[in-house]
Amino acid sequence: MRSLWQWLLPTCVIAGANQAQANGWNMPVGVTDISRDIYGLHMTIFWVCVAIGLLVFGVMFYSLFRYRHSKGAKAAEFHEHTSVEVLWTAIPVLILVGMAVPATATLKNMYDTSEADLDVMIIGQQWRWRYEYLGEDVAFNSNMSTPWEQIRGEAARGEHYLLEVDEPLVLPINRKIRFLMTSDDVIHSWWVPDLAVKQDTIPGFINENWVQINEPGIYRGQCAELCGVNHGFMPIVVHAVEEDEFEIWLAERKEAAEQEAMGVDREWELDELMARGEPVYRAICASCHQAEGQGAPPAFPALANNAQLIDDLDWHIDRIVNGVSGTAMPAFRSTLNPVEIAAVVTYTRNAWGGDTGDAVQPASIAEKIVQ
Amino acid sequence: MWSIIQSVLAALIGVQKDRKRQQDFASEKPLGFIVAAILVTLIFVLILILVANIAAG
Repeated sequence: MRSLWQWLLPTCVIAGANQAQANGWNMPVGVTDISRDIYGLHMTIFWVCVAIGLLVFGVMFYSLFRYRHSKGAKAAEFHEHTSVEVLWTAIPVLILVGMAVPATATLKNMYDTSEADLDVMIIGQQWRWRYEYLGEDVAFNSNMSTPWEQIRGEAARGEHYLLEVDEPLVLPINRKIRFLMTSDDVIHSWWVPDLAVKQDTIPGFINENWVQINEPGIYRGQCAELCGVNHGFMPIVVHAVEEDEFEIWLAERKEAAEQEAMGVDREWELDELMARGEPVYRAICASCHQAEGQGAPPAFPALANNAQLIDDLDWHIDRIVNGVSGTAMPAFRSTLNPVEIAAVVTYTRNAWGGDTGDAVQPASIAEKIVQ
Repeated sequence: MWSIIQSVLAALIGVQKDRKRQQDFASEKPLGFIVAAILVTLIFVLILILVANIAAG
């Protein structure tokens, strides 16, 4: 009987642990050296806890059974036993110090953001992430791309439901990337389990973290700090690519940014502004003001058939550039570029039967942003 | 003197012989215990600072 237990118990425990890993119940091993260190620590400490648990409860249940009242056991009555008390104080201290040594080494490594090859600013916003490649003139917003029909239950859910974005964060593998993390509004938290990064982004503060990804792939995460009504709709997608692939991507993004900057000065037609404005509206505005501009009063006013908006162009632009203090409407002066703002203003003034015919020029928006 | 330090160290880890406890409480003046406790706490904090500096260095 005893030999059966000796064999069965460890087998069950190890099989259970493997099962937990396969089912995603355990934390992922991840794709960075630090994530592997953290996983190793987690498992070491887990097994230490298992051993302590088995030992303590084993002794307790054995004693309960072996010295039970019905067998005539008598309680030993003594008040103290100093050496045993010293022992059960010293052993946990040694165990804790033993766990603290490797944990501290990992923690030190995690906080060492020096000598990074690439700096990426991560900015939390209600409800999207903004990524800025510092010194590279590349910056973009990353919005959830799961269609609202799926969220409302009007369409079948896709494979990456609520975990897909229009523009993923693209990072090179094998390079040390420093993250500078902050927020424009409330506290968010940038969490990607496979990278072992879960860091609060706090308005007015810059938190630092770093990764060096070992394997190319797509890694998904979510905002991990309750940040408002659409907290569940600001996922994170990281594309880790080979270094030369990253350089090509970065060059393309730089060129696109230059093209966009040149577009500010030229005259835009109403049609092209409308075409440009619609995706911006869907990505940025529709989560509050709704797909057809009907809004959700009183929190989110309607844009369709909004008399004040149609009558007063300057007022309309000011709302978007500078936001509305004390409401959920943020300032978009640094989130959207002049072309995008001009396009989305034009779109909201002409879609849904507005038909003002206003083709707002990016150059005029650029002037307002400078003011 | 050594008896007081021993009692303070015992209090630090929360384990003390009953006989020793009664002996301590028979003493009239608490000042010795208070001074020793403050000193031992300071030394403990200094050791922690030292360990933290070694770990961070």
